[in-house]
Amino acid sequence: MHGFAYDPIHDEIVVSSPLAQAILTFRGGASGEEPPIRVIQGPHSQIQGDYPGTGANDRVSIDPVNGEYYLFSTPNQILVFDRTGNGDVAPKRILGGPNTLIQGRSASGVDPVRNLLLVNSRGKMMIFDRTASGNVKPKAVITGPKSQMGTVETFQVYPPKGLVIAGGQGAFIGAWSVENPGDVPPLFKLPAKAITDYEPLGIAIDPAHKEVMFVAAASARSHPKSGIMAAVMTFSWPEIF
Amino acid sequence: MRMNKSKRRNQGRRILVGVATLALGLFGLSSFQRLWLDAPGSARLMSIQDIDQTGDACYRPVSTDSPASPEQSLFAAFETPSVYAQDAATNEVNRPPVRQLMDTAPTYSSVGVDLAHDEVYLQDSNLWSIRVFSRLDNTKPGEPPTEPRRIIRGEHTALQFNSCVWVDPTTADVYSVENDTGNIIAVYPREATGDAVPKRTLTVTHRAYAMTVDPATNELYLSVQFPPQIAVYSKEASGKDKPLRLIEGPNTGLSDSHGIAVDSKRKLLFVNNWGNIADLKVAGTGRFEAPSISVYDLKADGDARPLRVIQGPKTQMDWPGAMSIDQDSGDIYVANDVGQSIIVFRTNDQGDVAPSRVIKGPKTRLVYPVGVFLDTKNKEVWAANFGNSSATVYPMMANGDVEPLRTIRSADENKTSLKFGKTEAIVYDSKREQVLVPN
Repeated sequence: MHGFAYDPIHDEIVVSSPLAQAILTFRGGASGEEPPIRVIQGPHSQIQGDYPGTGANDRVSIDPVNGEYYLFSTPNQILVFDRTGNGDVAPKRILGGPNTLIQGRSASGVDPVRNLLLVNSRGKMMIFDRTASGNVKPKAVITGPKSQMGTVETFQVYPPKGLVIAGGQGAFIGAWSVENPGDVPPLFKLPAKAITDYEPLGIAIDPAHKEVMFVAAASARSHPKSGIMAAVMTFSWPEIF
Repeated sequence: MRMNKSKRRNQGRRILVGVATLALGLFGLSSFQRLWLDAPGSARLMSIQDIDQTGDACYRPVSTDSPASPEQSLFAAFETPSVYAQDAATNEVNRPPVRQLMDTAPTYSSVGVDLAHDEVYLQDSNLWSIRVFSRLDNTKPGEPPTEPRRIIRGEHTALQFNSCVWVDPTTADVYSVENDTGNIIAVYPREATGDAVPKRTLTVTHRAYAMTVDPATNELYLSVQFPPQIAVYSKEASGKDKPLRLIEGPNTGLSDSHGIAVDSKRKLLFVNNWGNIADLKVAGTGRFEAPSISVYDLKADGDARPLRVIQGPKTQMDWPGAMSIDQDSGDIYVANDVGQSIIVFRTNDQGDVAPSRVIKGPKTRLVYPVGVFLDTKNKEVWAANFGNSSATVYPMMANGDVEPLRTIRSADENKTSLKFGKTEAIVYDSKREQVLVPN
């Protein structure tokens, strides 16, 4: 699983089940063999993944304010579902096409204050109107050598400061301003790999305690010196909150 | 100097206005935005200011078409303004993490036994190693973890998140299947140790899970999770050698295939499935099926239907893992991962049948057993436990809540493994102040 989400408003966990082309929603306190409370699956859902060369439907994010799920799906598109959808339901919107710059397995996140949808694809952070649909160009893109924008399995948006906290090239965690896109350096930088020897794959934030955490798993080209191939690291990072 | 009455009245009015503003603001916020303020350590009222007495002075971000500007956002009243990067240098921090979550012990994903040399091989997917013990090693209660005789580990070994170790009973070569992006089967000589380079590797399909070999034909059978298939190679295959046969297609009944076993005597192939299936080329075809064991002719090829299927609630299958067959008796042993058990079926079982034996219970020390190996020579059955850094061995005919004959333990006695596999996602549950990490 490469991306899932927690909905703090409704106390629910949403995950994708890529091999079965489904989105599963669980109670926030679910444990053990507890079944999901809702399952989105079926022909109308248009969920498709794992077609070789175009990526897998294994990243889902949530906008708890507007009650929507965002799922990357083959081919290179974001399917938007109503949070309360259950069964064989169609997406409300589909964002995809060459103009969108969405390419390959992409993570997404929403800034409900500014009504923006952010999508991270191959070193680019595209910024769309939250309700963007079809083959539309992003309003803005954070990318370029100065930006050092990278690609990560999951990133976070912090609306109070207008920040997107994502992975940077060279395995750092950066915080970029969504209000100042383009080839612009991050406002804040945490050199995760340099400090820990682990490359961030997924990022989570805890604004209440002003902490950022990331999860890491080794790869053939990245062996941490510790010899322990999976880890979670938590940093105090009050500067970005 | 004492404040005069009018100043005190104005001051009191401003305080009331500030409190009212805060109250209106809190009530006016959506639940989502309230969370940011209500959580411990969140923003607090830092200043007050006079506001107009007429109309609703509580601003809230619009929720539909127009994005709220920072000036309209209530957050702007309480937070310092965003800093624009154009004129600001990157603020870089270099402090160490406040917390680290990692498992320092091996996590065992598979077990194989070299009966000729009385050695047990345990595949470790946490530290990327293969650990070799004496078959008779037994870590007694109170003792420290048992040290292995040999450890294959290092950057040159090509070991990653490997899910299966198999020992050739003829040559004692050690085969290891990589389950993630490595996409290989690595083969080591018996004496391999340390950062050993494999004697050969075979490039296989992504998401290969388990393998076995038919000693009669020296054909290697490999299960692949998704798209589900069984690939059959020559046991000596290497490099980019192609499979001799490929069982795949909608009629096969394969669905997120895991454990695999060969009954060379009856010429049968057994594959267990977790039931997650879709036609990956067609959107919206995904479905969940019950876990199963599907049975094929050993020479099956292409979109071959199974000869029979063991499936249903009576089977107790719950994420079935490795399998091992007693060819004399016709018993199939299944490592029943989330079922916390080893379950035994008959090779001629079909449909919704209960296992003939179930090894399960607290005395067994089975904790998420994912690996199983049947030692018919010594009449024992081994389990590799993903949940407690151990391997446990039982009498071959064990049933019920039985204690293991021996335990090879690689961590403290009460160890509970983190069970991290290739961890790539993380979520913070702010309500429970918990971190969720999927495996």
